[in-house]
Amino acid sequence: MAECCSVLSPHEQRIQEEIQGKQNFEGRERVYNILNSFNTERPKIDIERAKYFTESFKQTEGQPLVLRWAKAMKHIAENITVYIDEHQLLVGRSGYSGRYGILYPELDGDFLDVGIEELPKRVESPFNITQEDADVVINEIAPYWKGKTFHESLTESLPEETFKLTYDPENPLMSRFIVNETASFRSSIQWVHDYEKVLKRGFKGIKEEAQEKLEALDPLSPVDNAEKRPFLEAVVTVCDAIITWAKRHAKMAAELAEKETDAQRKKELHEIAEICAWVPENPARNFREAVQSQWFTQMFSRIEQKTGTIISNGRMDQYLYPYYVKDVEEGIITEKEATELLECMWVAMAQFIDLYISPTGGAFNEGYAHWEAVTIGGQTPDGCDATNELTYLFLKSKQEFPLNYPDLAARMHSRAPERYWYEVAETVKEGSGFPKLINDEEIIPLLLAKGAGFEEANDYAVSGCAESRMPNRDTYTSGCAYINYAAAVEMTLYNGKTQKTGDEVIGLETGDPREFETWEEFWGAYLAQQTNYLKHAFIQQHTIINLRAKHFATPMGSALHDLCMENCIDLHQPKIEGGIDLGYFECIGYATVVDSLAAIKKLVFEDKKLTMAEMLEALQNNFEGKEDIRQMLANAPKYGNNDPYTDTIAKAVDRESVKFTSKYSKELGVHLDLRLVPFTSNVPFGKVVSATPNGRKAWAPLSDGASASQGADVNGPTAILQSNFNSKNYDYRERAARLLNIKFSPSCVAGEEGTDKLVSYIKTWCDLKLWHLQFNIINKETLLAAKEDPDKYRNLIVRVAGYSAFFVDLSSDLQDDLISRTQHETM
Amino acid sequence: MSGDHNFDKSKFGYVFNIQHYSVHDGPGIRTLVFLKGCPLKCQWCSNPESQKNNPELAYNFNKCIGLDQCNRCLKACPNGAIKKSAGNEITIDRQECDSCFKCADACPSHALNVFGNLMSVKEVVDKVEKDSVFYSRSGGGMTLSGGEALVQAEFTTGLLKEAKRRRINTTIETCGYANWESIEKAGQYLDNILYDIKCLDPSKHKEFTGVTNELIIENLKKLRERFPKTAITVRTPVVPGFNDTEEDILAIIKFIKDIQNVKYELLPYHRLGEPKYTYLDREYPFSGFTSVDDERMTLLKKIVQDKFQQ
Repeated sequence: MAECCSVLSPHEQRIQEEIQGKQNFEGRERVYNILNSFNTERPKIDIERAKYFTESFKQTEGQPLVLRWAKAMKHIAENITVYIDEHQLLVGRSGYSGRYGILYPELDGDFLDVGIEELPKRVESPFNITQEDADVVINEIAPYWKGKTFHESLTESLPEETFKLTYDPENPLMSRFIVNETASFRSSIQWVHDYEKVLKRGFKGIKEEAQEKLEALDPLSPVDNAEKRPFLEAVVTVCDAIITWAKRHAKMAAELAEKETDAQRKKELHEIAEICAWVPENPARNFREAVQSQWFTQMFSRIEQKTGTIISNGRMDQYLYPYYVKDVEEGIITEKEATELLECMWVAMAQFIDLYISPTGGAFNEGYAHWEAVTIGGQTPDGCDATNELTYLFLKSKQEFPLNYPDLAARMHSRAPERYWYEVAETVKEGSGFPKLINDEEIIPLLLAKGAGFEEANDYAVSGCAESRMPNRDTYTSGCAYINYAAAVEMTLYNGKTQKTGDEVIGLETGDPREFETWEEFWGAYLAQQTNYLKHAFIQQHTIINLRAKHFATPMGSALHDLCMENCIDLHQPKIEGGIDLGYFECIGYATVVDSLAAIKKLVFEDKKLTMAEMLEALQNNFEGKEDIRQMLANAPKYGNNDPYTDTIAKAVDRESVKFTSKYSKELGVHLDLRLVPFTSNVPFGKVVSATPNGRKAWAPLSDGASASQGADVNGPTAILQSNFNSKNYDYRERAARLLNIKFSPSCVAGEEGTDKLVSYIKTWCDLKLWHLQFNIINKETLLAAKEDPDKYRNLIVRVAGYSAFFVDLSSDLQDDLISRTQHETM
Repeated sequence: MSGDHNFDKSKFGYVFNIQHYSVHDGPGIRTLVFLKGCPLKCQWCSNPESQKNNPELAYNFNKCIGLDQCNRCLKACPNGAIKKSAGNEITIDRQECDSCFKCADACPSHALNVFGNLMSVKEVVDKVEKDSVFYSRSGGGMTLSGGEALVQAEFTTGLLKEAKRRRINTTIETCGYANWESIEKAGQYLDNILYDIKCLDPSKHKEFTGVTNELIIENLKKLRERFPKTAITVRTPVVPGFNDTEEDILAIIKFIKDIQNVKYELLPYHRLGEPKYTYLDREYPFSGFTSVDDERMTLLKKIVQDKFQQ
């Protein structure tokens, strides 16, 4: 029986209080002052990074790329404006005050001039730019990069058939959203640095290592001279660059301190000056220095290159813990002060926005998406539970100060202490979508199978939206292919064509489906289309892998990587001795495909309630006047209900994909594993797919990640977990992340009893070895109200796809997509 | 199939819903099995589709796409029992309907739907066992609900016995109105009992539920005596105008105080079942009443907390 009284989540309650003007900042005045200074403003574009990067590149043509990159970093570090924000304890930003994004012309500078003019008008994640800055971009930056960018190289290098599935032939700026490449809007996929190395050795220590290696080079060796020397010189230069940048902050803080009249702030500025003069050059001596040193490192990394989804933060509760414990024991810092410092970092993060110039990149990352994953919990390298007091402090901070930064990722394993399960569940119940849960029981065995040792597998860090990284073992970093599996269904129905692209045959001609006599025949045709996409995705990746090293270098990223330092080679090089290349390709529209195939199998071939011709006619007309047929299709078996009928098909779709990659990854020398994580791309990918046999209307969003089609999981939240389990191929190691969204109404998890059951639910998810899980605990009414009245709900945070965003920052399409996902109720 | 009563009642029975992830009816994460049939006719009943023993046709007009789009049900009905209504919708002539359910089979949108499927013990428990991985973490299991599960006493015992054989934790939600033999049989296979005591005043009980409460009261005492180790929770659905006064609740507390080792819970009445009456072409007998307000509920819960040692 239902407890039917409506229950608000704490997050909803807070929003309601804000609407009534009751905000409680007590104890958090500093971070709220910072937050309120920028929160409602549209982000601005800052061009300085692009400007100085370009200036330097103009000067260094002909030199080894890694060295050019390091010199560009040095030039930026010496010239970029230095900021010290009011109220802030941490310093280090790469752009204007408030929310800002920076430019990476080396990626897609060829259309920077066009892109810049479009950005303020864009529906998804718009940005503002001043006319003065726009002029610099158009007249000084963009022209230099014409003919030099990665995007252009790629469009020129792709074979014709692959190109046709990748870009609009008329306009290579536009993706076809069929076999979509992402390498031209990010120079690498998600990544985590070994921050601990910086904290323990400082950049001085790393520089000294490079200098020693330089001295030890064989002066007669061609490889040492032509490859290793420039790499090591680049490391020395980039270490100098970040130290220079930090010291400019120290100088500015000291100057400001002299002028400051407020005694408290004066003291803080002196401290900042002292800290920045010491770190990241030297090893951190205390918690505050450790946090500042880490912040400089990640900010400089953001300046260095566009890491997909923003550089992740690694296992913060592990590498900061020794400093925290020592300081608390010695009475240098209190828990409250440590929390404040961390929250200063969260509000600083919230100002750096991942800016995508290309419309494709923008559509992938709605609501100013960001996945700077802060990992907590999990296991120690020797396999013990890793939770500590700092782990709980991160959770507490998220409960009490539920900003959508940082993206918090909780590693879960079956032997975690009860307190951890419960505090994670309590934080989930807060209702702003944190933390996301990542499962050790799935990931560690897979890392082992892919070649890692126990120590490094146990020590993995969550990276980006749902992935994992071993910062000194992983190497592969190309942006990966996103494949529109739903378009493969459409091409099966229209013999290699789609409704969107008309008469052009872009897939395979697998025959007129009206002439198929058996389900097996249809399935065979579908599979041929799916495999054709995979074929071209892999050709695309092959091209990308070989091009990448000619366009990108990451001297700082490489300086922090054991293998790069050992081999004196940049992380962007395709093959690094001792490394494991973990990439992936993405299936978009998984449930849309499975449900479509199930409906055809059942209604057309088994029950014969529909003929293929009737169904096709209804689809071609987008069900216009054919609502009865749409209903039949919509009521056919659906994935996500623990129904073997659909789950078997789901498993086969998965299996054929992993079989393909199992064979051809070896040739590529890169693990390209199957992943089901959409970002927000299920929306733009849906816009190229006409009506599908699951009853979905034309151009509507596809299903997201490994979740059921919107509203199709009617058997409760246990069934969706089991359908996921049933549809995975545990005999293959070619599995990457599967992202799973679950929406509960707050009443479903209310009270102590609700927490108990949520904990049991999460534990079972862990037992089922599913990769990822995230929750939206919110009333549908709240979402509807926020859509209606965005101003009031400015601070409403929702879980989107591996990240949380302000609901009102999302496009109307994506808002509707979120609203239409099934909400599980208490029964 | 509906009229077919010639089946083994210990192996087959009518089920109208199996609901996964139920979190309020017994310990842990549970699967609820709803069985057809009920000896009571509570005016506020939220599961009217449970009351009759046999499968019933329901029509949810919200799901119907209208006769201008589809007339498959009209064509499917061999008796002409489905008729065009004033608007774009249909009405069912329940006199003419012989429950062949061909219309429901033909309905593309599931607006026409059958409450009640004949299922075997094995089919039901197989479905329940699918969630076994959740039971092991949460201490959950199967809960039989209804209607009143004991109307199909042999089937109920069969389900419980099979569940216990598979080490699945068992619970029943019962109104207690059943003959003692059938309760006793089922009781051997039960880990928890959720036992409704709605009101101690026999005449009021009869007025609102259709039966008096002597048998119910008697059975509870016997159950406690016969199965001293089984967890029993007495529950009272708090219904405005029926039993929502302090006196009503105090009377129940006084009675159960004499019964060893039972827990006591109040459940607020809700109107969520109301639309289902329309689907079945029945009147909602309780219309006009509102849900219990939160304040009253809090007050009554406080009384339970103060006066009853859990």
